[in-house]
Amino acid sequence: MAKLIGGLGSSHVPSIGAAMDKGLTQTEDWKPFFDGIGPGRDWVAANRPDVAVVVFNDHGNSFFLDKVPTFAIGCAERYDPIDEGWGPRAIPSFEGHAELGWHIIDRMVENRFDPMIVQEIEVDHGIQVPMELFFGKPDKAWPVRVVPVFVNVIQYPIPLPSRCYELGQVLRRAIESFPGDERVVVIGTGGLSHQLQGARAGFTNPEADREFLRDIASNPGRLAALSREDYVRLFGSEGAELMMWLVMRGAMDPDVVVKHSHYFVPASMTGAGMLVLENRVA
Amino acid sequence: MEDRIPETPLFDRSRQLRGYRLNKMAMGLVDPANREAFRQDEEAYLDRFGLSAEEKRAVMARNWQEMVRLGGNVFYILKISAISPARMTEIGAHQAGMDHDTFLRERLGKKPAGSQ
Repeated sequence: MAKLIGGLGSSHVPSIGAAMDKGLTQTEDWKPFFDGIGPGRDWVAANRPDVAVVVFNDHGNSFFLDKVPTFAIGCAERYDPIDEGWGPRAIPSFEGHAELGWHIIDRMVENRFDPMIVQEIEVDHGIQVPMELFFGKPDKAWPVRVVPVFVNVIQYPIPLPSRCYELGQVLRRAIESFPGDERVVVIGTGGLSHQLQGARAGFTNPEADREFLRDIASNPGRLAALSREDYVRLFGSEGAELMMWLVMRGAMDPDVVVKHSHYFVPASMTGAGMLVLENRVA
Repeated sequence: MEDRIPETPLFDRSRQLRGYRLNKMAMGLVDPANREAFRQDEEAYLDRFGLSAEEKRAVMARNWQEMVRLGGNVFYILKISAISPARMTEIGAHQAGMDHDTFLRERLGKKPAGSQ
């Protein structure tokens, strides 16, 4: 059976991608962030995953408001980078693990989650940036296949944080019942605190961000029990994305080891973080 | 529209219904042909989506604060900045009612000289 080898967390701020595209990673603004991603990349290189299940939200690129799935799961062979308005970025397409995608969808529905089934879609910075942070930008092909899991965190009603956590628990069972020998990581993406809209634009909350990075490992129940409004109040209107890390966390054992944790603010207007968790081996 | 969290517009039913055409217009800019149409004759492009005079004024003035008030969501209206460049921090500063340097300093804790 496939094996879940780790749970990763990462911001997906588009300007992180732009900083990499423009060669700005060593500038005064960006160096402190990029200096902290090395151990995450090293962990991935040492642990050699075959598949990344990436939990993220679309940002008004692949889905418009005409059709808004609360949860959607990809079962495509390939995902091309989308044109977000500036032209598609020069990064390779993602090879999908369609069989695992279908298997996850089957197990989800059997366990009373009913995602939208997606066989053809282009993907935005929500998946691109975390993949680049953990795997580097490859010239030709990514070293892993992907299964995208889309969560609506833009159009209300967005799902409950506790529901995201439960989705992760089902995802874990789905991965570990897949007939294959794949080594799988689940990547929760988004956040940390930021707000792009309204008079509170530019709001960040470093203290809450640091508590989040601590508690997502040691006390995820507290974070799953918060309301959607708590997320917006604590982390900003777009910081509510952080509930997607709960999907990753729900897929892990209750007892985890933190292999790497990094935080920097501000990446553009956002508290930016990276996290690597492993299940504690008994 | 009443928001439960101060200065924080939640993209709820009433707000997205109000902003639907405005956001659909902006979403259209993911298509290079629409970007060209916007560049050539902005008002004609906006008319294709049935924008009201108030909405058109807000877009043509690049009045981000007003676009959000009218139900625009930054993820969509941001695409206008691919055509007439504006940094996310400038869009943030405008909504906060601050000049850019003040916004960088007070909200993001940056030194203006080191800002990009």
